[in-house]
Amino acid sequence: MIKIEDIHKSYGSQDNRTEVLKGISLTVGDGDCIVVLGASGSGKSTLLNVVSGLEYPDSGKILYDGTNIAALSDNERTKFRREKTAFIFQQYYLLPHLNVEKNVKMGADLAKNHDYIAAIAAVGLSEKRRKYPHELSGGEQQRVAVARALAKKPDVLFLDEPTGALDETTGRQVLDYISRLQKELNFTVIMVTHNTNIADMAKTVIRMNSGKVVDIWQNETQKTAYEIGW
Amino acid sequence: MAAKHKAAQSAKNRRKTSGITKIKGFTLPQQPTHENKKENGQTAAGMILSIGDITRSFGIIIISFCAVFVCTLFLNYNTDLKSIGAQTLQSDVQNLYNALVMTGKMVSILSGGCLLLTSAVMLCFYIRHYVDTHGKMLGILKAMGYPNLRIAAGFSGFGLSILIGSGAGYALAHVTMPQFYRMQNTDGLLPEIRIRFHPALFAALVIVPTIVFCLLSVLYGYFRLKTPVLDLLKGKVSTKIPKEAKDRENAKKSSLPFLQELKTSTRRQQKSLVFFVGFASFCYASMMQMSFGMDELASWMMALMIFLIGVVLSSVTLFLATTSAVKANWKTLALMRAFGYPDKACSNSILGGYRLPACIGFALGTVYQYALLKVAVMFVFAEVEHVPEYRFDVPALILTLISFTALYKIILHVYTEKIKRMSIREVMMGEE
Ligand SMILES: Nc1ncnc2c1ncn2[C@@H]1O[C@H](COP(=O)(O)OP(=O)(O)OP(=O)(O)O)[C@@H](O)[C@H]1O
Ligand SMILES: [Mg+2]
Repeated sequence: MIKIEDIHKSYGSQDNRTEVLKGISLTVGDGDCIVVLGASGSGKSTLLNVVSGLEYPDSGKILYDGTNIAALSDNERTKFRREKTAFIFQQYYLLPHLNVEKNVKMGADLAKNHDYIAAIAAVGLSEKRRKYPHELSGGEQQRVAVARALAKKPDVLFLDEPTGALDETTGRQVLDYISRLQKELNFTVIMVTHNTNIADMAKTVIRMNSGKVVDIWQNETQKTAYEIGW
Repeated sequence: MAAKHKAAQSAKNRRKTSGITKIKGFTLPQQPTHENKKENGQTAAGMILSIGDITRSFGIIIISFCAVFVCTLFLNYNTDLKSIGAQTLQSDVQNLYNALVMTGKMVSILSGGCLLLTSAVMLCFYIRHYVDTHGKMLGILKAMGYPNLRIAAGFSGFGLSILIGSGAGYALAHVTMPQFYRMQNTDGLLPEIRIRFHPALFAALVIVPTIVFCLLSVLYGYFRLKTPVLDLLKGKVSTKIPKEAKDRENAKKSSLPFLQELKTSTRRQQKSLVFFVGFASFCYASMMQMSFGMDELASWMMALMIFLIGVVLSSVTLFLATTSAVKANWKTLALMRAFGYPDKACSNSILGGYRLPACIGFALGTVYQYALLKVAVMFVFAEVEHVPEYRFDVPALILTLISFTALYKIILHVYTEKIKRMSIREVMMGEE
């Protein structure tokens, strides 16, 4: 369970300070799928980074099963990220000089997971595990990123616009892999997106506007990646 | 609904301006019109080499400075010294005179030649590194229809750093020359030597290198720009993996841990850095130990000079190599940090792979300086009496080894700290 209490975060120096997060509180249950919507610049990525322990908030608490990660030292946060979280970014960020297998190993090794081959198979890339990132399409690269993140066996998966650079078909495919694996492995998903339709896949949807949560709603039924509009 | 559309639209626009990766499928715009060309010409050239890049090439400035400084000092002295050779000297003075001429020649050939060569190699390396890391931007300029030669001309700015470095070195050499001349002749055995300005020397040490490196950098950039536009845009230049390496890798079973794999791949991917780390430790080992020997065999002034050059040259080389290794892998490091790899593991996976080349360089440098001094003593001091036989200096070796290890560790530590303090968010969100 993740409990977020009154987070504030600003950027810039004294005279040109912009408050990006203006007091956000949320509760996320284990195994939930949460989608964060909002206009560009509303602070979605910032929220994701603060909640995932990449950045410190200025004030507020982020409690993971009672542990406030905002109060941890840098080394402790590194350990926290190592044990609990995984990321998928819009730009994939695969390591260009390593092939698919070794990219996935980057996540697997952290969790002492020796079965990284299975993680590659789970995203349907067994055939291409010797290929290098530049030999793959965008969708395939993002699937490698999914495999890498999940090989780490995270409790929480953070995604910042995972389909932002993909077309509709490949985007659906990636989302489908993620949601199927979520059902199987039961990790928590927190996803930031521009695409309102993707919200239909989530259990909880949060809409942000200029640093505040303006709307939260629950979907009674969650659609699959192939049922949502685009 | 309209608001949402607008927001999405503005997001798209924002991405377009800030992102380069998104240009994947874009069509070639027409050749810029004449007025456009004029206007953009400046930005294009300006974009290629900013002032910051020139200051960042300070390594090249320092190296060319050192090289030209030493060469000017000794070559100028030698030329002036030769001019008094015509005058008749007493035979014992003749011996001293000969020894002076030969040592001067040797020192300028050794340190100067070595330095000049290094700065040439370093410059090529730096330009190559620069072009590789700016592949996307070059790709865009190329895609927009700028001719290759015009883009490459933007690299001529690198010649400027050579001019600055060698010019300053030449000037400082002339400032210190009176002092130097006096010190070379403290016994007053030789007639007073007048300092003269030799235009040929100035041309050879300042003008020619500037022009040559200017051309070299433009040519190198031009050669690199021959890469197809799409490969430049995708940043393929820097991600090229040689086929044999690939085959070799696929042949063996990948059972190594990830960190090990990363270390090897980093080392293989940046062969030039391996060379530079090895080279830095070679320079350090040879010059440092040579300076101990020089103190006995020649003057303390020469020893000090070689010592200083050794330290400066190897620190700068080491620093540049580490900086580029870390820079080239900045994203990888950010990702590893995001995934929760400890700081030590991060820096070690990128920089730890250079320990072996450093050791090899050190050993070679030690052997090299020993052989060189042996030969030098044999030839140069053959006719001079009372020169002690040169023996291997173990304490000097130990001292050099300890100080080099310290230097290496300090640089490693600085970068570990830097990696620790990196903003993961900025690296991951900022696209370039
Ligand atoms: N390092 C920074 N310094 C100053 N301002 C920043 C910094 N990082 C982000 N901001 C500002 O914070 C605001 C929120 O940024 P954020 O990236 O969270 O938005 P977002 O909702 O993810 O937008 P997008 O949908 O475009 O990704 C923006 O107005 C941005 O300009
Ligand atoms: Mg964002």
